[in-house]
Amino acid sequence: MTYKVKLPVFEGPFDLLLFLIKKNEVDVYDIPVAEITHQYLEYLELMKMLDLDVAGEFIEMVATLMLIKVRMLLPRIASGEDEEIEDPRAQLVAQLLEYQRFKEVSGDFEKLENERRRYFSRAVPEEMRNKLNANDDELLDDVSLFDLLTAFKRALDNIPKVTVHQVNVVKVTMEQQVKFVFEKLGRRSYMLFSELTKSVKNKIELIVTFMAILDLIRLQFLSAKQTDNFGEIRMVAIQSPSYEKYLEARDKELVEESEES
Amino acid sequence: MTREKNKKNNIPDVNRLSDEEMTYLPIIEALVFSSESPLPLTKIREIIPGLAPKQINSIIEYLNEQYRQGGRSYEIREIAGGYQMFTMPEFAAFVDKLFQEKQQSRLTQKALETLAIVAYKQPVTRHEIEEIRGVNVDGVMKTLMSRSLVTISGRAQAPGSPFLYKTTRKFLDYFGLKSLDDLPKLKEIDELIDVDDEDRPYHETILREIDISELGLKENGNGEANNREENGDQEKSDQA
Repeated sequence: MTYKVKLPVFEGPFDLLLFLIKKNEVDVYDIPVAEITHQYLEYLELMKMLDLDVAGEFIEMVATLMLIKVRMLLPRIASGEDEEIEDPRAQLVAQLLEYQRFKEVSGDFEKLENERRRYFSRAVPEEMRNKLNANDDELLDDVSLFDLLTAFKRALDNIPKVTVHQVNVVKVTMEQQVKFVFEKLGRRSYMLFSELTKSVKNKIELIVTFMAILDLIRLQFLSAKQTDNFGEIRMVAIQSPSYEKYLEARDKELVEESEES
Repeated sequence: MTREKNKKNNIPDVNRLSDEEMTYLPIIEALVFSSESPLPLTKIREIIPGLAPKQINSIIEYLNEQYRQGGRSYEIREIAGGYQMFTMPEFAAFVDKLFQEKQQSRLTQKALETLAIVAYKQPVTRHEIEEIRGVNVDGVMKTLMSRSLVTISGRAQAPGSPFLYKTTRKFLDYFGLKSLDDLPKLKEIDELIDVDDEDRPYHETILREIDISELGLKENGNGEANNREENGDQEKSDQA
C-alpha cells in the first residue's frame, strides 16, 4: 500500500520562507530567525525524504539565515556616528516582499490565461502561412542579428561532425559566395535562409557564405525578414542581384574610407 | 475598470452612427473578418483615410452590438494592438474539441512568475530575474523563449554584456491583453502587507477579546478595515 502526501510545491527559497512566515503568523518585519530557520530545515529534510530535488538555492538560503542570526547576536561596535543601525534582516525582508509582489500578480496572469483559452480566432492553416507573399511587409518582422546568429548556429549544427582534423587551404572567398548567393536567388524576390545554407556542405564554406550574407545586408542588397520569432528567415532582395553592382558598392566604400582617413 | 467605463460611455454612441460611419461599417467588418491576426487601428486608417480612431471604435462597438442582438457566436475583441474576431467564451467547450491537438499546455507556476517579472521589468537581464525569484531561471527562460512569449531585445551595458529580455506580441495575445498598458496592476509593498493581514484568520478571534470601548470606538463595533488592523497590531505586540 502506498500513501500519497500532499505537500505544497515551493518555487524557491523565498516561496518557502513566505509560506513559513504566513503559517506562523509572524510579522514579516520582525521574523523570528531562529524559529523560522529551524522549520525551514525541517521542510528541507521532508523534501529530501520525499525524494524531491532540493535545489542548491534552498540550501544557500540556510546559510543566509544563519548569517543573519549571527549578525543579530553579535554586539555592534559603536561607530561613533549616530547613523541608524540597519536590521540584519532588512535586506532579506525587502527581497521577500519584492518576490511576493510578483508571485501574487502571477495569479492574475493565470486568470487571464484561463479566460483567454476560452475564446478562439479563426484558424489559419499552416500551409497558408508559408505561402504568404514576401511583399506582405506588415506581416514580416525585422530580423535582429540574434535571429540571424541563431539560424547560423542551426545551420552549423546540421553539418556532419568530422573528428579527424586536417589543415586545409581555404579556397572559398567572400566574392565567390556573394556570386553563389545571387545565383541561388536568381530572379526571385526572396529566398529562405535555410534553402541557402542547405546546399553548403562544409563549415568554412558556410562561414564565408554567412559573411557574404551579412555583407550583402550591410550594402543594402538583401534584407532579412521573418513572420514569427524563431520562424523561417527570408532573405528579401532589395536591389537586383548583380555581382558587378556589389563590387561597385564595395569599392565605393573603400574610396570613402580612405578619403576619411 | 477603465474598460467597463469605456463600454458604458460608448453605448449612447452605438445607437447613433452617422450616415458616413454606416457606410464604413461593412467595410470594417470585412477587414476584421478577413484578417488572420489582430488588425491594428493604424492599418484600418491606412485603408480608410479620414476615419478617426474614435469613429472606428464606435463602429466596432456597433458591430458587436449587432452580433449580440443577432445571437451570433462571435465578437470582435481588441487584443495585442489590434481588432480580431473571436468565438464567445460560452462555446469554449465545443471549439476546444476542434483544436484539441493544437492547444498548448498551460504555463507552470514558475513560468508565470518568471513571465510576470519580465513583463513589468523589461528590458531585463536573466540575473535581475534570478535576484527576484531566488532561483536559477535558465530552464524556464528557455521554455518561454521557445513558446515565443519572451525574446531577446539586446544586451545590457554591464560587465559581460548580458542579454536583455522583453515580452513579445504573442505574449499579449496569449493573455488577451490589448497592450503593455493593459497589464494587471502590480501591488505596492504596503498594499501587499495590508492584504496579507486581512487574510490572517486570527483577526476575528482577537477582535472578540478586545474591549472596543477602551479604544474609543463604541459606535463602530463591527470594525472598519482600518480599525481592524490597529487592533491586530496592538494585540500582536502585546503577545510578543
